[in-house]
Amino acid sequence: MAPLTIQQATKSFGEVQVLHGIDISIDDGEFVVLVGPSGCGKSTLLRLIAGLEDISTGSILIDGRDISRSHPKDRDIAMVFQSYALYPHMTVAENMGFSLRMRGATMDEQHRKVHEAAGILDLEPLLDRYPRQLSGGQRQRVAMGRAIVRDPKVFLFDEPLSNLDAKLRVQMRAEIRSLHKSLETTIVYVTHDQIEAMTMADKIVVMRGGYVEQIGSPMAVYDAPANVFVAGFIGSPAMNLLKGRIGSDRQSFDLDAGGVLQFDSVLNARPHQPVILGVRPEYVKISDGGSAAVVKLIEPTGADLHVMLDIAGTKLTAVYHERLTLEEGQEVRLAIPTDHVHLFDPENETRIVGN
Amino acid sequence: MVRWQHGLWLFFLPSFGLLAVVLLWPLGYAVYLSFFDYYLGSGERTFVGLANYIDLLTEARLWNSMWTTIIIAFGSVALEFLVGFALALALYRLNGSAKVFSVLLFLPHIVTPVVAALFLKWMLASNWGFIDATLLTFNIEPADWLGSPVWAKVSVILADAWVFTPLVMMVLYAALQGLDTSLLEAAQIDGASSWNTLRHVIIPALIPAIIFVISIRLMDVFRFFDLIYVLTGGGPGTATETITMYTYQLGFRMLEVGKASALGVITLIVVAILLLTINRGLNKAYRGGDR
Repeated sequence: MAPLTIQQATKSFGEVQVLHGIDISIDDGEFVVLVGPSGCGKSTLLRLIAGLEDISTGSILIDGRDISRSHPKDRDIAMVFQSYALYPHMTVAENMGFSLRMRGATMDEQHRKVHEAAGILDLEPLLDRYPRQLSGGQRQRVAMGRAIVRDPKVFLFDEPLSNLDAKLRVQMRAEIRSLHKSLETTIVYVTHDQIEAMTMADKIVVMRGGYVEQIGSPMAVYDAPANVFVAGFIGSPAMNLLKGRIGSDRQSFDLDAGGVLQFDSVLNARPHQPVILGVRPEYVKISDGGSAAVVKLIEPTGADLHVMLDIAGTKLTAVYHERLTLEEGQEVRLAIPTDHVHLFDPENETRIVGN
Repeated sequence: MVRWQHGLWLFFLPSFGLLAVVLLWPLGYAVYLSFFDYYLGSGERTFVGLANYIDLLTEARLWNSMWTTIIIAFGSVALEFLVGFALALALYRLNGSAKVFSVLLFLPHIVTPVVAALFLKWMLASNWGFIDATLLTFNIEPADWLGSPVWAKVSVILADAWVFTPLVMMVLYAALQGLDTSLLEAAQIDGASSWNTLRHVIIPALIPAIIFVISIRLMDVFRFFDLIYVLTGGGPGTATETITMYTYQLGFRMLEVGKASALGVITLIVVAILLLTINRGLNKAYRGGDR
């Protein structure tokens, strides 16, 4: 258990700079998820924290101690790898006890700690098995067990659920979450799956192209994305992002592709100002009055209804929890609550706050 | 489970036929001949039962050549394995331009063993050979590399290692390429030193490749002939006379074909037992957990 601070961290591989001045401060016991598309530098950042890559400039502090140049084993961290990285010729117990053994712990201590961790993760019956005899989910748990045995200050997870099937992933998500609750250890967790990020994190760090785009609680990031990238990346189905201009009465929005969206109160921007207007699919409501649209495609997912709408050539996705009786080709009227509209500057794609 | 269709065995016939002609038939014939007193000079064959085997097993020359073979085989395979593994690990750590380097290391293996042996013979020739000439300029009295019983064995071992270390290196290097690097990283985080990583992670992961390379090298070195034939001809005396050299002497010098066949069969059995033992031992070490 310890706070983790990353200050102005950069990383270059030869000429290519993959991380640009990363600043993140993580509180003691916080569950932080680094999320972003592949190639955004999230895994590299995790490997910098682990010490598997050398930091180029900047520093990383665990519990106030600068560990940016320490050997991985001296950083008091434990890591769960995407491929689990279990030693194939060792039993589950040997795998879990390996770090203790390398540190010269007595057999008694190894035995006690391995059984302790195995108890937490229900691994007791598997201790004498080899990794090849385990299912994917069990291997995943062993990999976590190996990390727990270390009793580290910080846990690092590198896309640990990406090799599991969808059902198991949901189950392990909850398990990791409850494990964090009981251990109260600082966790840095890397994923490209924004659902994982939303459901598990205390704090999300959204990354792109080696830069941090936004840091905040899942709901804060969801409700107030800092820029167009975050707006489009977090949330599924993705936020509708429409290019156009604010109307002269500030209660309408003229789409660049043609067509108009009507609102019931004023938008938070100047008349005729060019903006990117963002609205989450769940706030595209069907009403008696408002903007005209045509239903193009209906996708029932069981719980929800995903509807693709068309406003004079511009596509708009809507999600309804009610079972609406819609037909493809049907004309509808849309009402979008103004307080759920996000406005972004089309120049630098950042959020427009106030006026 | 793979489900075999009826009639599929027909596809197996051509290759089996070929194997039968080039492998099983000569082998069977050798076993057959080993029960005869068959001197090639007279062309007469008389069935003698196990007499050839009894003769061979009771004479000192066979045991002498057996020991020589074992010393040379284990000496050179051990040397090839240690040096080859070290080179493979070094190569694994290097990258980029190191790939060119690996090709250079492979050169001795590309040369035909007989040519390599001739080359080494000139290197090792007394007084005017490269090694002696170099040592003499430093006023160091060189040993009789090919003429003294002990040095002749050492020279033969080194010669075999020179030719075959690159092969061992390449096989182990290829196996290292297939190693999951996250295992090494996990070991690093777990606090394993380089030595412990090697012992507890790398070597266990390479066991299949190690079994393979040691097996083929041992098999090969028990048939070790060309290098010795050129370098020492089995001498001085019988100091470097391996089983194959002795078989050659029996068959092609003394023309005792029956006895030579019997020796061939004995060699086959010895090698088979040896390989099975080593295989089992390494496999057991691999499967038996890590302590």
